[in-house]
Amino acid sequence: MAFWESLGHRVIRMLTALSGTIHFAGKVLLRIFQRKTYNSATREVLVNQIYFTSVEILPALILFAIVFGSLLIGIVFTLLKNFGLTGFVGHVLMGLIVTELSPLLTVLLITLRSGSAINTEMAVMKVSREINALETFRIDVIDYLVAPRIISGMISIVLLSSLFSIVLLVSGLLFSWLIFGISLDVYTIILLNSTNFSNIFITLVKCAVYGFFITLIPVRFGLRASHELTSVPIVVSQGMVNVFAAILIIEVLSLLTKLF
Amino acid sequence: MDIPLISNQDVYRNITLIKEYHENMPRGQAHRLALEYLERLGLGDIAYKRNPALNPEERFCGMLLRAAMVKDAMILIDRPFRIIPHLKDIQFITTALKKIDDLYVSCHIYDYQWMKEKYGDL
Repeated sequence: MAFWESLGHRVIRMLTALSGTIHFAGKVLLRIFQRKTYNSATREVLVNQIYFTSVEILPALILFAIVFGSLLIGIVFTLLKNFGLTGFVGHVLMGLIVTELSPLLTVLLITLRSGSAINTEMAVMKVSREINALETFRIDVIDYLVAPRIISGMISIVLLSSLFSIVLLVSGLLFSWLIFGISLDVYTIILLNSTNFSNIFITLVKCAVYGFFITLIPVRFGLRASHELTSVPIVVSQGMVNVFAAILIIEVLSLLTKLF
Repeated sequence: MDIPLISNQDVYRNITLIKEYHENMPRGQAHRLALEYLERLGLGDIAYKRNPALNPEERFCGMLLRAAMVKDAMILIDRPFRIIPHLKDIQFITTALKKIDDLYVSCHIYDYQWMKEKYGDL
């Protein structure tokens, strides 16, 4: 009986947390589309956040894309050659690497860097009563802190994932020349023939959804901190676990979307 | 102390925030205004510092200016000697208030009865 009781409590807690997150997401989404959200202060926060999330990470992201992408493409192309599947180079590049791996690796990188930073920042602001200070001056926390971070997350993931894909495609050109002796013209034709624009559209939407949730969840958990310093590591670890769960759920949902 | 300065922003950003958020004042104009008010208090050099780098007097002035940015500001200072504990009397605070008296409608200071002698004739 105790087992079922504890299981029931866990399920109820999980459903309550999920409905809370969905409610919060709806509230934030509404604000994003309201014109009054955007004033001089929120615009400045938005620009700063785009700089922190998209620009500062560029050297690390490009280096990671070159090293990891080249390794991955080198291995995949060698395997294709060994199995006599040279004709599938384009499909592997566009269908697997550009539409699946690039967004996933980009979102993991941004989550590790910016998601954790946002989660900690919110928790520390709550603990040090800076959130109270904003509320005292009638500065809406969703307008000023949450909405700019979420918009910046969405823009950043879409742009950085596209950049990641471009770097991988350039690596692909190099390796297809080295392994298969394919020229630039042939490579371009192979890529264009393998491009499915509806899949690219789904990938861009998926990137925006990733960006929304990898900033929304850290913000939500950060704001759940109490006024005790000890609550900071608790909410940060909870937030990050939930972000990774959300990434998995979005990945599965996007695969299902492509299947049907 | 209950409404601290935002620690991940410079002092001038803390001051301009109210004008930018509530009055949609352009960034450049709000920046110039904040620098001008800080200069009035002789604290132009703290504009680009953050809360942890300030001494108690500088922190108090930053908070005072931020409060004065509210339209028709009515400033309430709760136990000022808790913010600047080493002050022997209220003179520093009254001088700062006089320098920016055109920025607020009224100012009230609350403190315990036993702190009365620190306030002199005020």
